[in-house]
Parts: sequence; C-alpha cells; structure tokens
Amino acid sequence: MNAVVELVGSSKTFGAGRAATVALQGIDLSIGVGEFVSLIGPSGCGKSTLLRLIGDLIPATSGEVRVNGKPAAQARRGREYGIVFQAPVLMDWRTVDRNVELPLEISGVPRAERRARAAAMLKLVELADFGGRYPWQLSGGMQQRVAIARALATDPALLLMDEPFGALDEMTRERLNLELMRIWRSTGTTVVFVTHSIPEAVFLSGRVVVMSARPGRVTRVVDIDLPQPRTAETRNQERYFELVTTVRAALRAGGADAAAAEAEGLGTEPADAERIVAEGLA
Amino acid sequence: MSARIRGALPSFLIFVGVLLVWEFGLAALNVQSFVLPRPTVILAALVDQADLLARATLYTGSEVVGGLLVGCGLGVLAAFAAARWRTVREGFLPMGVAASSIPILALAPLTNIWFTAESATSRMAIVAVLTFFPMMVNTVRGLTQVDPAALELMTACAASEGQILRKLRIPNALPYMFTGLKVATTLAVIGAVVGEYFGGPLAALGVYIQSEAYNFRYNHAWAAILIACAMGIGFYVLAILAERVVLPWHASERRAEGAQLGH
Repeated sequence: MNAVVELVGSSKTFGAGRAATVALQGIDLSIGVGEFVSLIGPSGCGKSTLLRLIGDLIPATSGEVRVNGKPAAQARRGREYGIVFQAPVLMDWRTVDRNVELPLEISGVPRAERRARAAAMLKLVELADFGGRYPWQLSGGMQQRVAIARALATDPALLLMDEPFGALDEMTRERLNLELMRIWRSTGTTVVFVTHSIPEAVFLSGRVVVMSARPGRVTRVVDIDLPQPRTAETRNQERYFELVTTVRAALRAGGADAAAAEAEGLGTEPADAERIVAEGLA
Repeated sequence: MSARIRGALPSFLIFVGVLLVWEFGLAALNVQSFVLPRPTVILAALVDQADLLARATLYTGSEVVGGLLVGCGLGVLAAFAAARWRTVREGFLPMGVAASSIPILALAPLTNIWFTAESATSRMAIVAVLTFFPMMVNTVRGLTQVDPAALELMTACAASEGQILRKLRIPNALPYMFTGLKVATTLAVIGAVVGEYFGGPLAALGVYIQSEAYNFRYNHAWAAILIACAMGIGFYVLAILAERVVLPWHASERRAEGAQLGH
C-alpha cells in the first residue's frame, strides 16, 4: 500500500432532487508517500470540497476515499492527518504554544511531551521565540505559520492545506512558499495543497491536478519536473515559466470544456435550464 | 498612564463644570431647593444621614447580589441546556427575546404578596427574573456562534463533543457572558431600587427615597438617589474588572488592535 491518498470514482452532490448540485464527479486520484500535490481550478470547481472528502470533514456521496489504506472516516478518527485552512483559525484565548498543543491535548498526550513537541514545531516554523505570545500579537503570515506548526504537531502522515496563503500579500506568500518547501523536505510529510495561484502550484508541487467546474472533475494532471530542492532560484528557471504556461493552458482548456458542456446543456443544472426557458418566454 | 489621564481630562472637566453650574447657577436662576437642591446641600444630607444610608445601601446591595447570583446562575444553566438541545433552544429563546420587552418590574406588587414586602427575597426574585434572560440569551449566542472553521478543525482532530464544549464553545462564550453580566448588573440595581418603591423596610434605598420625597425632605431623597447611581456604576465597574481578570486576552486584544508585530 504505497498510496497515502486514494480516490476511486468519488463524487459529491450537495442537496437532493431538483436543488441538487454536483460538486464533484468521478474523481480518480492516487497520491503516493511524500508527494506534494496541488489541486488547482476556478472557484466552484470543488477543489476545497475534494480536500474535505479526503479529510472526512464531509462524506462522499459515492465512490471510495482512502487515507493510509483505510476509509477516510477511520483515518480521521485515528488522527492521521493535519489540516491548515485559509484563515489561521487560532484560538484567541490560547497563547501560541498552547495553540500548537491543541491537537496533542485532544489526543491525550501528556503535558511534558506536549510542551516539548510544541516547542520543536515552533522551531520548525521559525517562531521559537513567540510561544508565549497571543495570536493577535502576530502578523497574518506568522499566524499562518503557527497554524502549520499545529497541523504538524501530531506528526501526521498527511498534511491537508486549503489555500493557506490565499489571504496573504504576494511577498509574504512567496516567502512562506519557500518555508513550506523547507518544512516539507525536513518532515517528509505528504501534502495535498489547494490553491488558485498557478505560480504557487508550479513552484511547490511534484504534480498539479487541474480541475474544472460544473461538475467538478479532474481535467489534467501536470507533472512538475523542476529539480529539488526548490529555492528562490527555481522561479527564474525557464522550465518554471514553461510549466506555468502549461498549467494555465490546461486550466483554460478545462474552462473551454466546461463552457462547451454548458452550451450543450450537459453541465447546466435543471433549475438553471428552466429559468433560462422561462426568461426566454417572458 | 499620562495619556490615559489626558484622555479622561475632558469628561472630568465637564463633570466639574456641571457641578459648578448646578451649585451657583440655581441660586442665580432662583430655582427653589425642593425642585433641585444644590450639590453641597445633598452632600450635607449624605453626611447627616450616613448611618441609615449605609444600612440601606448594604440591604439593597444584598438584594442586587442575591438576585444577580440566582438570575445569572439559572440563566447560564438554561443557556447550556438550550445550546445542547434544539427543542430547549426553540422553546426558550423566543421567550428570552419577548421578555426583554416586558416590564418585569410590574411584577413587584405580586412578588411582595408571594414573599411579603418586608423580605428581601421579594426584590431578589424580581432581580433574578430581570437578569435571567440577558444572561441566557448572551450565553447561548456565545456557545452556538462558533467559527465554523474552528469546528472543522476540532472535527479534523477527532475531538469529542465534551472536548469541543470545553476547549472551544465555553471559551468562545466567555466574552458574551460578560456582555450579559454587564447588562444584568445595570438591570439588577434598577430592579432592586424600583422594586423597593412597592414596599420594604425603611433601611432600603428605594423605600427611603420614596418616604423622604413624600415627606418633603428632598435633600435626603437626593442623597439616596446619588447612592443608587453610584451603586449602579459600581456593580458595572466590578463586572468590567472581573472581565479583565478572567479574559486578559479579550480586553488586551481590544486595546492592542492595530498594534501588531511586524513579520
């Protein structure tokens, strides 16, 4: 069992009957140990939903989702992944180190061990001196690094990241991308990373999964053959620009597919079709 | 600290100015002292009646504290039940909202019949009913209005319902509970003093205000009113101090807004 994440024909439909929306349809994806995989696509393509299926935060409507060879629900109950959201989601009433300790506290790790582990994680994200501060005393970028430290506190096999740098300015984002690469190399954790930034996806990933909307599906998987380790220099390589162009083209092609499907009435929801007809009559 | 003194200076000057106009302006305008006694006259009455007023303050204060403890205690308990069980929530919350527009003080003559006017329990009951709903409504809000992402985080960590309650919902509810408490303290003092207008022992602020006003001793009545005002402010300040002690992160967060560290 080499795959950390395995999806077979996974689909997700929100609502039922006429109000039903197909968020994801027939997703097949396998992510191996230590891989860094980005999910990219236009808003509404279901990339965040896909991440939540993997994390068992929402159940799949059909198909199979396996994490570490187990059903996703079992993996979640076994605390086998860490997660980072777009917002840091730190608890205001806890100091930084107590925020990092939270998942360890929940899984019943003794205090001394918790302390040591939190200190090590803060060192990893280069915030060793900030353990005693409160989250609101930190900048947005620092808060997100605390969130990464918390996600890694339980030493999970899998790290799920839902647009973690989406709310940060470009400079901070690029610096955190470099830092994430360093953390990924030193922990060897498998990462699934949702983003809508093409350069970010190319810079970080071993593979970029390109998705399209209505219904959300995988249209192409782009292998990123840039050499490791990725450094600031990587962004100057010609191959980097080529790959950015490739992913952009794949996204555009996916969008064209979706547009074509919509024109044929395939991708349009019944309710929409009805409304269009009604408007036409009026 | 000097910045804080400078910030408080305008309101202090206005306060002193009002007192001066009150003291000297009334005489100049020929306002009769039964309409509005001068501050120095009220102060003299305060000293003159110190003994009785001290006893009255303690008595009314005990009604406020007793009523607050019962009302807020039950309010918090009801809030936990309401946050836990949807049926309780749907039954109680509309009542809480409706209760805020009901003149609960109108109940005072009835509580005097239930508990006798001489008993402090009568006013405590009014204060308890008055403070129950703001406490409950605010606590329910704090327990239920939790950041959805924080709940997802707890689910991702496979936290139990009890852990979610202890580590997320209750800390999240604390600032809301202090908001409820602050509203409750103000209502409690009003409830106790006005409740006493409908009867009670003479050494009670409300009874004293009524009887002295009835007997044309307006300077005495004013002295007691002043104490009632001070009591209202005092309990409110106590609630704020308690909030600072219990929620240091909350109070300082508000003070430190915009004063973040760099990267």
